[in-house]
Parts: sequence; structure tokens; C-alpha cells
Amino acid sequence: MPQLLLLLLALPLATALLVALLGPGRTLAVRWVSLFSALASLLLATVISISFAIARTWEAPAVDITKGTLTFDSDWIKYKTRENLLPLHTTADGTVDSAIQFYVGIDGLNIWLILLTAVLMLTCVLVSWTAITQRVHEFHAWLFVLQLGMTGVFASFDVILFYVFFELTLVPLFFVIGIWGGPQRQYAARKFFIYTLAGSLLTLLGVIGLVLVLPQVEADHDPGQSHRLTFAIPELIARVGTLNRELFQEVKQLEQAPADMEANLQQARAQLNYWRHVQLWVFVAMMCGFAVKVPMVPLHTWLPLAHVEAPTAGSVLLAGILLKLGTYGFLRLSVPLAPDASLRFGVPVLGTLAVVGIIYGAFCSLGQDDIKKLVAYSSVSHLGLCMLGLFALNEVGLTGSLLQMINHGLSTGALFLLVGMLYERYHTRKMADYGGMGARLHLLAVFMVFITLSSIGLPGLNGFLGELLALAGMYDFAGSQVQGSLLAGLGASGVVLGAWYMLTMVRQVFCGPLKEPPHQGHEPITDLNGRELAALLPIAGLCLALGIFPKPFFDTVRPEIQVVARIAEAARKRAEKDAFGHELQTSTIHRFARNGLSLAAKGGERK
Amino acid sequence: MNGDLFRALTGFVPYLVPEMILGAAACVLFLGGTLRANRHLWGSVALAALFAAGLVLMLRPLPHYGTLQAAQTVRYAAPVVFDSLALLLRAFSIVGGIILVLFCWNAAPEKRAADYHACLLLMVVGMGLSGAANELVTLFLALELTSIPTYLILYLGKGRSSSPSSETRGGGEDGGLDAPAQEAAMKYFFLSVFSSALTLFGSSYLYGLAGTTNLPGLAEAFRRASQAGAPEEWAAVSPLLGLSMAALVMVVAGLGFRLTVFPFHFYAPDVYQGTTTANAAVLAFVPKVAGFAALVRVLGFVLPTLSPQEAFTAPLALPILSEHLPVLLWIMAAVTMTVGNVLGLLQDNLRRLLAYSSVAHAGYMLIGLAVAPRLLSAPDALVDGVDAVFFYLAAYGAMTLGAFAVLEYLGTSGQPAETIDDLAGLSRTRPGMALLMVLFLFSLIGIPATAGFMGKFLLFAGALDVPANIEVAASLEQRKLFIALAVLAAINAAIGAWYYLRIAAGMYLREPPPGISAAVKRERSWPVLAAVWLCAVLTLGIGVRPAPLLQAVQTAVPHGAETAPGGHQPAQEPPG
Repeated sequence: MPQLLLLLLALPLATALLVALLGPGRTLAVRWVSLFSALASLLLATVISISFAIARTWEAPAVDITKGTLTFDSDWIKYKTRENLLPLHTTADGTVDSAIQFYVGIDGLNIWLILLTAVLMLTCVLVSWTAITQRVHEFHAWLFVLQLGMTGVFASFDVILFYVFFELTLVPLFFVIGIWGGPQRQYAARKFFIYTLAGSLLTLLGVIGLVLVLPQVEADHDPGQSHRLTFAIPELIARVGTLNRELFQEVKQLEQAPADMEANLQQARAQLNYWRHVQLWVFVAMMCGFAVKVPMVPLHTWLPLAHVEAPTAGSVLLAGILLKLGTYGFLRLSVPLAPDASLRFGVPVLGTLAVVGIIYGAFCSLGQDDIKKLVAYSSVSHLGLCMLGLFALNEVGLTGSLLQMINHGLSTGALFLLVGMLYERYHTRKMADYGGMGARLHLLAVFMVFITLSSIGLPGLNGFLGELLALAGMYDFAGSQVQGSLLAGLGASGVVLGAWYMLTMVRQVFCGPLKEPPHQGHEPITDLNGRELAALLPIAGLCLALGIFPKPFFDTVRPEIQVVARIAEAARKRAEKDAFGHELQTSTIHRFARNGLSLAAKGGERK
Repeated sequence: MNGDLFRALTGFVPYLVPEMILGAAACVLFLGGTLRANRHLWGSVALAALFAAGLVLMLRPLPHYGTLQAAQTVRYAAPVVFDSLALLLRAFSIVGGIILVLFCWNAAPEKRAADYHACLLLMVVGMGLSGAANELVTLFLALELTSIPTYLILYLGKGRSSSPSSETRGGGEDGGLDAPAQEAAMKYFFLSVFSSALTLFGSSYLYGLAGTTNLPGLAEAFRRASQAGAPEEWAAVSPLLGLSMAALVMVVAGLGFRLTVFPFHFYAPDVYQGTTTANAAVLAFVPKVAGFAALVRVLGFVLPTLSPQEAFTAPLALPILSEHLPVLLWIMAAVTMTVGNVLGLLQDNLRRLLAYSSVAHAGYMLIGLAVAPRLLSAPDALVDGVDAVFFYLAAYGAMTLGAFAVLEYLGTSGQPAETIDDLAGLSRTRPGMALLMVLFLFSLIGIPATAGFMGKFLLFAGALDVPANIEVAASLEQRKLFIALAVLAAINAAIGAWYYLRIAAGMYLREPPPGISAAVKRERSWPVLAAVWLCAVLTLGIGVRPAPLLQAVQTAVPHGAETAPGGHQPAQEPPG
């Protein structure tokens, strides 16, 4: 039933229009319509994900590495809709053979992220009930446009459609931060917008470049057939995989051949090298957009500002979903579409930057006095861990990374919620102003401790498994590009530091003698009310469920994760057998990566 | 006289009916304006003429030539040709004309409204004809037909500060212009005349060298001359080729003024700021359409293909162009967009800001022309550069005219919109206008689902699609250069986003200045409002469903693969 997913995409759009039309006068109606729409979305997403998970449990598709091309099999994509948006080439008999498509569906990589989006949207509507009092209808309209964008990115299987939704998330968040944010909101909103736009425009170039160059290289390699453009992600992955394998095998075969084939060998090598350069630049271009979004460390400066200035709902969605667009982009596009570059360039550079991010983010958190800023920097640290698992490029690491995306969305989203609730009561976020709040706000303290434990990875809660798998994956890293155990060891320090700063915050704010910030007293300070509980309980429940019974999660994501892992594995085998790869390795960017940045790169590989 | 030749020289007349209708309507307006001063009457007449012209164009879009012989005769003899590119540009100019007439409803004082609309109609004729010109002389005439009315409207517009209510007491016959407006008019007049002279001078060289003013004939002459030797020896082999460089540089310089290409863009900010919003919009749109049409025709990017039997002629028969022109255009594109965007960052005046924005967009469009020589003959290219330019031109027209129209609408309804500060808090006082303005701004930035995104997408795709032969180092180097151009454009788009966002931020994130919301006198101008909505529909429509426009521009620009006899050829590269 592809209609369910379409409905999930159409519902936010319809709600946004309806809410905008309701106008400024009918605040209460706006809130109720939004709540119902968010509930309906959640219901839809739940139905889709449960039925998908059940189907996967019964008949999990098996990945066969020995045969055929490795890609996300298009039969695995459920709730699929595929329509031509912009036909670009028509054959003589009138059928369109290359087009930008509206290609959406559900598979193991996106299903839980889509559900997460729906869950967090509900909490956002609930938490904005009293926090947003100005221009309520506009706020909710932008919020639902944002939901459309986020769900769309996850559901897209066409690179251009992916990019369209990716960019579309910028506009609503710009307004959400800029209108309803804190004192520095205008600067924060513009900085966020420009940073992300600059990165993602380069991503667009990378994506278009890959789509356009792929048929050219294929035509050089195999001139007999016609090679059409495709924008569909599964087909692109399959064709990139085939090309990688064939070009490499041709070189290897010609190396064994007698000496009179020398000219052919040179030509084959030139082709392979050219294709690898293309891959490298495609990877770098895509990285620009995704690394800003994650954010990787030197590009992270927009994040604390945007987080601190954004209203609570904005922070929750920003931390919970939007940062995942970056990691998801790496997982869905960068690694499968440029596996060799991911291994040779991505692992040393991004792995190192991830470790730097983990430690740097943690120390920044430790130094903060503002609770919201502390949580914001902890995101930098946690997403570093996520990236570390992702660029382990093996099944364990990738699974851990995907789980960590969900975990971070739940726990950091909830942390921002709690901080927002505290701020709503006392209008200060300074840790020094608080003390012993546990005695005053029992329930809030309980949730805070619970979420903190989930965030720092207490066994039995969700964070533990994600961190463990991500680190174990990196420890197990099979290639020679980096010393996996060293990176994993350094990354593990982030977990310890995480416990340190989070627990320091809890101790300062909730333990010890009671110290309430001065409040004007126009309304009495009460503990969590029903609405706030309704916002927090689903998240807390999911944290617990994922911690105790993660099997459904692993079962659903396994086939796609295996595909990505095996694509990377094939790249690693090629790299090992590669005797002449020095031409690529001595390219400027690679030298930069090798000498300048990688703490952990092993020197002996090149000999 | 040979029958075919006679038909070629006279046969185009029935297809000029739309232009004749517009010209006649312009005469009626000029004369009628002396009898009655009523902007609604004369505006409606102008609109009616445009609709009539559009209808006639739709009824008889393209001529049919019975034989290949007849088509060839027309191609080498007729002063104007009606191929699909001409059709596209004439349709463009009529749609643009409708928007402009609505837009400029209140632009002139009541007494001058008829003259103003007559000028607009003549510009529409000029734009359409510069797309159809097949002769250097016709082309020059068409360009002047767009320029001369522009000089007039710069004087016809009312003073910047006067609002409709003050016009009754306001100055007499000549009183409307204040000093900056006069300066703007003078500046534009002198520079424009100078640039026309440059174009004419370059054209005279071309005529002197090739002995013909017919554009396909010119291309043919150069092709024959250049078959003599390698590019390095052309100057020695034939003085024709050596001198043609000089001629072409002059033509490009003259047209560059119309396109506001660096270094001919200096007038734009001053003129846009000095004159009225309506005049600035006309200047941002009309010369660009005419200029790009002329550039494409005179450089031979698109040679007329009039008959289906006719074999596809590789464009750019002038080898000197395909060798050296991309370099010139590359530099012009890179510098123009960078200068436009960087200087745009510093502006507070809205019209000045939009002037730099239009400079930057001219730079983006030049990317399409820079890559076109490599793409037009490539059989499998996704776009061929020139079609991306015309697609972008349509998108640019819709979004830029829309942004100006919002300013004009605010101005006519009692809220001056001069600087970014004037727009502060617009989302509170005029939510609808603010939302539309945001749509245009995001389209100018290039956010998806708007026309600007599709335009940029196609231009980028063109620059990244340049085929390379991996065994030839020079071809790889060229490819790298074009990729660098695309990256530069992407960075520029991000720089440009900053100043567009400043406007959006001003409207949405700031509070309106006290007193504005109370003092607003809702005096609506329906025609201007209609222009705003028309632009909004186009901007959104092209963004969401780009297929029809893309198809139209692709049929207008013949492409190696599609028109080559026997379907498309397999992708085979010549050895070496």
C-alpha cells in the first residue's frame, strides 16, 4: 500500500496549509489541529513501521555477496511510489528512459528514522503548547513544512528528490529559529542557513557530477551499449558497484597478460584511475554538505548557536532529526556511491575528525554553564561517535551507527525538552542558578536522571548498545587505512567524559541543598503536568524498549546494513590487492589527509 | 527574380503579424494619449494588443517550407527567420510584456501612461525580433527597438518619491524627475548608445570580412576560411579569422552592456537606484532577454533549422569561437557572478541590491554559454548549455520581475519600499506580500521547488557534463576548468543567499517600526497585484513542473543527437 507513505508525506503539507489559513486569531484551533495531525502522523508511521518490521521478521531478504550486483534491491523497498517528475530523455518509441523521479519508499535504513520523526513531531507540538504565544499559526505551519522535509529526505530514493527535501528543511528552520528564538536569533538563523546551504550546494554538485560522469565512464569502458542517466539511488549503487568491479578486474587480468598488451593495460589503468578520481571528488563534494549537517568538528560552529537560540521545539527537531540528515546522507549516498573513496579518504579523515569531535565536544560540554549549550556540545560529541561507527564500514559499526542515530534523537531530543521545561518555569538556563531541584520538581528530576542515564549509555537502556556497537565496529576495522583499535580507544574516552559532564550537570541542578532561581512568582512553580508527561513518556518508553528488546531493530535493518558493509568490504579487498594505487594516493588531497590530519594512519601500508 | 528567393524575401511577412499588431497598437497609444489621459483605458488597450498578438502567434506558430531548397533559400536570404528558437523568444517576450504592462500600470503619470505603455509594446517587439533576426542589420534594428523606448521610459516615469495621491498637485509636464532619476536616465542613455555603437562597429568588421550580413552565411564563410589550417595558423592563413576575433570581442562587449556583464555592469546599480521601481524592473528584464537572444544568434550557437529534412548543422561553425570563446565567456561568467554577489552584500537600498543580484544572475547564465560549444555537439549531453540559459532566463524573469513587483505594489499602496529597513516587519503588516516576496527571494537563492533551483540545476548540470576524453590531457584540463566554474557558481550562490536572506530576515524576523501598521492606507492597485501573482505562479509552476518549459527550450535549441539523421548515434569517440 504505497498510499500510506504518500499520506504520511501529504499530511504535514495539508496541515501546514490548513494551519496557515486558520490565521492568527484562532490559536486554540491551530494547536488542536496540529496535535491531531501529529497524532495521525505518528499512527501512520507506527502502522508502517510495525508492518514493515513484521514482514522483515518473517521473510528477511538474504544478501548474497557471491552473485549479482550489490545494491538495495528494489524489491526490498516497500510502500514504493515511483513517478517521473522531469523526463530528460525519451527513446524513439516514446518511453522515458532517464528522468528525475518522485521515488519514495521504506527500507531498513529509513524506517526507524521516519518513525522517530513522527514521535518527535508529537512532542514538539505538545511542548509548544504554552511556550509559543506569538504568531502561533505561522509557527505550526513552519513546523509541519519541516516535518515534510525531514520525512521526505529519509524516504527519497532519487538523488535529486533527496536533495530537494534536504534543502527544503532549511527554510522552515530558518524561520523557526529566527522568529521564535532567543536574543541572538537573527544571527543564529542566518549563520545556520548559510553554512548548510553552502555545504549542500557542493553536495548537489557532487551528486549531479556522479550521475553525469557515470555513463561517460561506462561508455569508455564498454562502448557497445547505450548508457542512460539514472537518478535512482539503487540503480546508481548497482552501476557504481559493477563499474568498480569490472574496471578493477580488467586491470588485474591485463597485469597477468603477456607484455604485448601493455598499451591496453595502460589504458585500463588510466580509466580506473580516472574513475577513482571522480569518486574521490564526488565523495568530497557530498561530504561538504553532510559534514556541515552532522556537524563534523571544524564545521560545527553554527550548531551551539542555533541550538541555544532556537525555541525548544526547534532544538528538539534540530538535534533529534536534522543532524541525522548528515549521517544518513553518508550512509545512504556517500559510502555506497563512492566506496573506494570512503575507504581511502573517508576513513582516515572522517574517522579522525570524528574522534576529535568526540573529545572536543565532550570537553566543551564540560566547560559550559548554560545547560542548553552543554546539551548542544554533547550532540557534537555523540554524533562523532555515530560517525566513528559509520566509518568502521563493517556490519557491526554501521548497525551501531544507525542505532546511535535513533538513540541520540530520542535522548538528546528529550534532554532539550527537559531543559526547555525547566527554562519555562524559571527563565534561566544557568546551572549555577539551580541546586537541589530534585526536591522541588520530582517528576522532572526523575525524567532527567533517566534520560541522562540513557544518554551516557547505561546498560539496559538504548544508549549502551549503540555506543558499544559503534566502538566495537571501529575496533574491528579490517582495513589498513587507520588503526581501528586506537580510534576506538580514543572514542571510548568520549563515553567516560559524557558520563562526567552529564552527571555533573545532574548533580549541580538536581542534587544538594535546594536553590531556586528567583522567579517573579506570577505563576506558581509546579511539577510536570499531563501535557508535558505526554510529551516525555513516549520517548522514555522507546528508550527503555530499545534498551531491553532491540532485536526487532536489528532484524529490520540487517539486510541493507549488510549490503552497505559488503560494498565497503569489496572496496577494502580491492585496496589490498591494489599494487598501483600510488597515483591516487599521492594526489594532493590524499597527502593532506594522510600527513596533515590523521593521527592514526599507519605508515607502513605503502611500502 | 527566382521564385524561391522572392518567396523567401516576402514570405515571412504573414508571420510578422503579432509584431505588426503590437506596433500598430503602439501607434494608437502614442496618438490616443494626446486626446485622453486615462491610464486604465490605455493599459487595457496595451494588454488587449498583447493578448491579440499572443493569439495570432499561437495560431500560426511556425512556417512550413515545402522543399529543402525553399528552406535553404530562406535560411540564407531572409532577414528574419521563424524557427523554434524565434518562436520561444517571441512567446517569452509576449508573456513578459503582459507582466510588464500590468506591473507598470501606475508607473507613469496619468498623462504619460499611454506613451509609457506604447514604449513597452515596442520593447516587446524588439525582444521578439532579436530572437528572430537572421541578419546583422535586422538584429541591430531589433536591439535598438528595445533600447530607444527604454530611454523614453526613463524620462516618462514619475519621480521616485511621488505617490499617486501627490501626482495631481505634482509638477506639470516635465516636473516629475528628481536629480538622481535624471542622472540615471542620462547615464543609461550615453552608455547604451556607446554600447550600440560598439556592436555596430563589430558588425561592420564582420560584414567587411565575410562580405555578407546574413548570419548563417557569415558562419559558412568563416567555416570555409578556417578549413585551411590549424587554429594557431589562422591569422596567417586568412586575415579574416584573425580580425574576426577583434570584431567578435566588440560585439560581445556591446551586448555585454545589455546583459550587465562585468566590466559593463557599472551603470546598473546607479541607474536602478536612481529611477523608479517599474523602470528598474524593465531594465532588469528587457535588455537581458534581447541581449542573450542576440548573443546566441550572432555567435552562431543556434543556426536556424527550418525544415525537418534539413541536416543538423553543427553550431559554432566559427572554429575560432569554439576555441577561444569559451575562455572569454568563462572569465566573464566567473568575474561577473563574483562581483555581483560580493558587492550585493554591501547594499542597503533594495533596488541597488537587486541590481547587483541581476549582475550575478547574468554571470550564472553565462556559464551556459561558456559550456555550450562543448555540449552542443555531444550526442548524450543532458542539457546543451544554451537551453539551460533560456530556461534560466525564463526563471530569472519570473522571480526578478516578481521581486520588483512586490516593491512596486508596496510603493503604490502607500508604503515606500526603498531600503531593507523599510521592509522591516512586513510579515506582520502585509503577510501575503511578505510571503510572496519570500518566495521570490528563495527562488533567487535557488531553493528547491522554485524556478531558480531548476535553472541552477540545469546550468550546473551543463558545466559538469562537459565530456572528456581521458586519454587526452588537455580535454581533462578543460573539464576541470568547467567543474571549477560550477563550484565557483555554487559558492557564489551561497554568498548571494546572505543578502537575499537579509531581506527575508528583515521582513519576518524584525518587528515593524511603530506607527506603520496603523498608518497603512490600503490603496490596492489590482494590475500590479495581478503582476505579482502572475510571477508567483510562474516561479512556483516552473519549479514544481519544469518539464513543459524544459521541453520548449530543448526543442528551440537543436541538438546534435536529436536532429541528426537516423536517430541518435552510439556514443563513440573519435580516436586520439
